[in-house]
Amino acid sequence: VEEAENRETQDQDGYWLEDDSRPLKEIPLPMQGKRAVRDRRQMKIQIISSWESWKKSHLKSLKRFQLEAADVLSRMEVWKSSLHKIEGKFGTGIQSYFNFLRFLVMLNFAMFLLTAAVLVIPNIVFMTVDLQGWTLLNTTGMMENPDSKSGNCSLYNPTQEGLVSFYTYIMDLLSGTGFLELSYLFYGYYKDTDVGLTTAFSYNIPLAYLLTSLFYLLVSLIWLVRRSVQGFKLNLVSSDEALTNYSNKVFAGWDFCIIQEKATQLKHNSIHYELQMDLEEEAIREKIAEWTTRQKFCIYSLRLLLNLLVIGLLGASFFCIYIATQYSQILLNQDSVASSNFFLSLLVQYLPSIVITAANFTMPILFNIIIGIEKYSRTTEIKLTLLRSVFLRLASLGMLLFSLWTEITCAGDMDESDCSGCHYNYRRYPCWETRIGQEMYKLIIFDFITIVVVMLLVDFPRKILVQHCSCKPVQLWGQQEFLVPQNVLDIVYGQTICWIGTFYSPLLPLLNTVKYFIIFYLKKLTLFVNCRPANRTFRASSSNFFFLVVLLMGLILSCVPVLYSIMVITPSKGCGPFRTQQKIWDILPNSIEGLPRVTREFLFFIGSQAFAVPLFVLSCILLFYVVSLAGAYGQRVNLLKAQLQREEQDKHFLVKQIAEMGRANQKNNNNRVSFFSSLMKTVDKP
Amino acid sequence: MGNKQTIFTAEQLDAYQDCTFFTRKEILRLFHRYRDLAPQLVPPDYTSKPDVKIPYELIGSMPELKDNPFRQRIAEVFSEDGEGNMTLDDFLDMFSVMSEMAPKDLKACYAFKIYDFNNDDFICKSDLEKTLNKLTRNELTPEEVRLVCEKVIDEADLDNDGRLSLEDFQHMIIRAPDFLRRTQASKTRREQLIREPELLNKYKFSGSK
Repeated sequence: VEEAENRETQDQDGYWLEDDSRPLKEIPLPMQGKRAVRDRRQMKIQIISSWESWKKSHLKSLKRFQLEAADVLSRMEVWKSSLHKIEGKFGTGIQSYFNFLRFLVMLNFAMFLLTAAVLVIPNIVFMTVDLQGWTLLNTTGMMENPDSKSGNCSLYNPTQEGLVSFYTYIMDLLSGTGFLELSYLFYGYYKDTDVGLTTAFSYNIPLAYLLTSLFYLLVSLIWLVRRSVQGFKLNLVSSDEALTNYSNKVFAGWDFCIIQEKATQLKHNSIHYELQMDLEEEAIREKIAEWTTRQKFCIYSLRLLLNLLVIGLLGASFFCIYIATQYSQILLNQDSVASSNFFLSLLVQYLPSIVITAANFTMPILFNIIIGIEKYSRTTEIKLTLLRSVFLRLASLGMLLFSLWTEITCAGDMDESDCSGCHYNYRRYPCWETRIGQEMYKLIIFDFITIVVVMLLVDFPRKILVQHCSCKPVQLWGQQEFLVPQNVLDIVYGQTICWIGTFYSPLLPLLNTVKYFIIFYLKKLTLFVNCRPANRTFRASSSNFFFLVVLLMGLILSCVPVLYSIMVITPSKGCGPFRTQQKIWDILPNSIEGLPRVTREFLFFIGSQAFAVPLFVLSCILLFYVVSLAGAYGQRVNLLKAQLQREEQDKHFLVKQIAEMGRANQKNNNNRVSFFSSLMKTVDKP
Repeated sequence: MGNKQTIFTAEQLDAYQDCTFFTRKEILRLFHRYRDLAPQLVPPDYTSKPDVKIPYELIGSMPELKDNPFRQRIAEVFSEDGEGNMTLDDFLDMFSVMSEMAPKDLKACYAFKIYDFNNDDFICKSDLEKTLNKLTRNELTPEEVRLVCEKVIDEADLDNDGRLSLEDFQHMIIRAPDFLRRTQASKTRREQLIREPELLNKYKFSGSK
């Protein structure tokens, strides 16, 4: 029976299963064929025992239930209908940007829940309930020389005296000073106490603070890596994108989910435009390959010069950021500015943010001009411009942090008058962690304001202008195009700031969630109202990988200042949960001291070199093995491809042979016939 | 379940649920959409399994297909008679394959059939030219069309016979054969090879759930 059935299931398509284990829905037959297969399977069921059939029918109803449950769950997915609408009108490329934004909102919200549950809520509870177990933390490492100067280290009084004017209130809201400074928003407010909840168990606030921040970064890393693993796999193992360029455009060029007529017209145009561009680029590439040596020399020296120019421009903008940050820090500490004009003091507060945003606006324009002169192929152009923009964004943040570090630690020189007593600049920064938190807070707010202002003052007027003014240059300028890479860089920049700032300001993820939530709707609005679809479509598959790689770079960048301040810089003596420690990291070894002996020794062993070095060597070996495995598989793929071609040639050869033999046979037959007929004739002839 | 409906017998609904990716509600919703295309042709009661076909002109006017350059081929591939006139079974089939729940190799199989204009189980040069012209609405010059077709065949033709078979097509669509799977679970001849999600994600009707 089995054999007969297998033979039957091979009839329809020719490439068919040898065993029908596939679910019915996935069989590429028309409905009647599927129904026939279903009847055959059900007949088979009747042959097996009743226990088996009962099990199968229950399995089926369980699967149905799962399907319905998945259906209900997917309906509860946030923003599903918005994403569908965007996909329908603009295609999957732009939808991937909004998908990415939604992912970040979820990530930030999860992070906020983590910090709230472990840090903020216990603190609020302890404050209100006023437990008796408030014990100051026992410090094992005292400061070296408690001379008179160090007494000043713990002077920290940010509260305002007397009545607060309305302007100051707004100022405080926008720059995180005043009433916001001593609140749960910033590091300085948290206590360095151990709360004894019961006789055996106590809640160590500093330890919780440190562990939450580290855990937060670790979870983000794991989540990101998990999400990008698919993209990594494809890009490592797969063949070069250039080798499947045209086939991708032809067979996967059409978005079957676009249903609006205007959108389809645009889609046709974009496919046409892309294919033309590709053919042009092919022609250019052939021309480049035919360049003489002299031309090559010219173009290479030109490219070298322009790259130096790019580096020079980047250096200039970094220098500006450095100067601006130093200037604003100096001015902030002068009371004259604080009490003067509201707008002037706001300007001074936001000077670093303004300079960074200005650099991020002007530099890409210059990069676009420069790349036009360099005469690369189009794909290299895009990649290089993106690389330069990413570097600019992340490095400008790094520059800001560097200049802050110079200020806080007197450029590493501990003997300078300002830093000598407390190992940080206690005169200007009685609570330096809060100050960094404030800078990050200001960056986030300014970033948000920039996005809103650009939308209102640039996108909307541009659309109105294009609609109502029909003169040539305006029409040539055209409506705004929704540029996915630039927008992605914007939100990655915002997320990096949030990651850096969360250690100094635990409520920043909440701020970021709200910010990205609002940005989703704003961007959706601007997309539908102001933008036209781009001429060059953004491939969703490669773009997801690109977004996650840039986000990963931002995460790595943000780990550096956080880890540096945990391990190296002395915490402020006047505020925060680590005021009695030498270094923030010291709380961990101190807490481990309190653990039972076995655990303590185990943890110390893990942290020692005797464990780390063998682990490192083992990881290197593993990595080497995996890389060589991938290489071996790649080679096997090539071998099999060659084999496939050889088999096809063999098939052709055999077919030709058969044809020839058939002809030879027929000739033989003809010969035989003519022989016989001649024989017959001779026989006939008496 | 508790909902009483008189359109299908319980057996028919069961069979549809087994053979498509849709739940009960979705199947009934799709039936109403089918009926709305031609209310006078389609009876409200399918328990007697009537033999009703909606002509291609009405199918091609649906919003999902109206502006799709391949609508005629889609209808032809999924219809029983090969001319585009669809019965309810064909209609449900089409939406099932084009839904987001369908696995990638199923979509690849049907996508191949859609682009195979002469139905000879190979995508040859003339099929490619027709595909390109439909994609660009005949706006490319014949020289450009020829160049692009050549390039596509260069890129995707593995066994070097000048045309694309189903295997060539699938391999091109997935870009990176999942080698471990192929060497281990080699029981079934066609496995879940498709790993590149975004390319085949485009082969679906949005909002069809």
